[in-house]
Amino acid sequence: MIARSLRDHRRPLIWWSIGIGAFIALYLAVYGSVREDPEVYGPAAVAKFPGPLRDLMGGMTDMVSGAGYLQTVVYQLFVPMLFIACATLLANRTLAGPEESGTLELVVTLPVDRRRLVLDKLAALALGLLLVAGATFVIAAGLSALMETGVPFDRILAGHLGVLLLGLFFGTVALAAGAATGRRVVASAVVGVWAAAGYTVVTVGRSLDAIAWLKWVSPFHYYAEGRPLYDGLPAGDYLVLAGATAVLALTAVLAFDRRDVGV
Amino acid sequence: MTAVVQAEALTKYYGRRRGLEELTLDIQPGEIFGYLGPNGAGKTTTLRLLLDVIRPTRGSVRVLGGAPREPATRARIGYLPGDLVLEGRDRAIDYLRFLGRMRGGVPASRIEALAERFDADLTVPMRKLSKGNKQKVGLIQAFMHEPEFVILDEPTMGLDPLVQQEFLALVREVRASGRTVLMSSHVLAEVQSVSDRVGIVRAGRLVAVENVAALREKAVRRVELHFASPVPPAAFENLPGVRDLRVEGASVRCTIDGRPDALVKAAARFTVVHLVSAEPDLEEIFLTYYSEGEHDDRQKPA
Repeated sequence: MIARSLRDHRRPLIWWSIGIGAFIALYLAVYGSVREDPEVYGPAAVAKFPGPLRDLMGGMTDMVSGAGYLQTVVYQLFVPMLFIACATLLANRTLAGPEESGTLELVVTLPVDRRRLVLDKLAALALGLLLVAGATFVIAAGLSALMETGVPFDRILAGHLGVLLLGLFFGTVALAAGAATGRRVVASAVVGVWAAAGYTVVTVGRSLDAIAWLKWVSPFHYYAEGRPLYDGLPAGDYLVLAGATAVLALTAVLAFDRRDVGV
Repeated sequence: MTAVVQAEALTKYYGRRRGLEELTLDIQPGEIFGYLGPNGAGKTTTLRLLLDVIRPTRGSVRVLGGAPREPATRARIGYLPGDLVLEGRDRAIDYLRFLGRMRGGVPASRIEALAERFDADLTVPMRKLSKGNKQKVGLIQAFMHEPEFVILDEPTMGLDPLVQQEFLALVREVRASGRTVLMSSHVLAEVQSVSDRVGIVRAGRLVAVENVAALREKAVRRVELHFASPVPPAAFENLPGVRDLRVEGASVRCTIDGRPDALVKAAARFTVVHLVSAEPDLEEIFLTYYSEGEHDDRQKPA
């Protein structure tokens, strides 16, 4: 079942790897000119951006150092969001999509326990995301070395692991919502709202006391707070992400086990 | 012998919408059960309950002695969904192999043999299959693991007449090997030739379960007799089971309920030159149940 699901995903997996990889490659290739003209991209230049925009991009305090550039351009917003989109689409193809199209009906009549079915789908999702993360990591680490960003290999690995965990978390959110409702729209909406709100809370919202406490339910808090690109693997934060993902996976299993499929 | 299906007051509501109400039904091993009713009557709901696609609101059902929820029970069932969806770039043969693996392995030769019987091309990507060819793939996957119990939701939909004949032959073979078939249809003519019993479901309720042979015996039959010379009407009057009698010169027209014995014996006294007896129309009986049901509804407003 896992192999079958992965086969079903192979096209989107390849295209997402290419897409995210190209994005990383493009921006890392530009880094050479950034490093050579620090005045153009330095603090003075960044100061021209409105404050909220800078907040949204994680402060943009440092665009010239390798780690700062990599953090702002690659790991702050775009790559995580692309990865979350990829994870959500893949998750929707596992249960909610087949349920809406009607192909799931035959699958649930097979002699496979429903709980097992969801776990297999989750495993396929995790493996698929691991493949995309692996491929894009190779591109990020390779180009980072080529462009001499000066960011150590293990820091990029730590950052990329965060992207994977974040994608896995939101993919599991989508899968759980899809398993509980059977509808892709609901699953995508849950992810969209949670991701957008979660990101806003830890960036723009961190200076607003009224909503700052919400960071505890924002996955981005655990993704970015430990500054993996500067300080290495934030094990505690990542464990929280992984643990939350496990709880969601359990929710998906229990929700699907109780449901009428396709009505 | 344990019944293949044992349903006790099986009830399903989708929210407040009725799906099936108080279904109590036993299906015995080795029988072909035709499940009839107009669209939306609750046929698909019943079949889905037997396969644990949906869960009952009330009541209980056991299939092959076990709970449908147990994978081991479902392993012994073959199922053709009513609205079978096959899509994607995968070839049909790859999908069948996958389903076979999930069912613990199905010999490739058996898939090939079935494909040949139904004249199905399995090398085509599934999304390019026509409606009829999808139905063939659906039938192959329902029969390929030689299940003890085959559940078919509108199996003949989209099949051309030749393939329909082949399908009915396959169903008879399954019965001959002592296995059981439950098939739904909204057209009685499709199932009457193979079914041992038919159940008629209407508006979520099972309104009748009939033995097909008995139904046929009960059926109203039109008979026309032509004689060598005019016959006296009195010879055919008041015969048991004979109704709507019309004697005109040398011809007799009537309808008979049940056995034609009395009519044949009365006619034997004269020289019969021509006899026409239409095959009993079970469809008509079916429609009788149907209209009675409608009548009931009018008496008890919902």
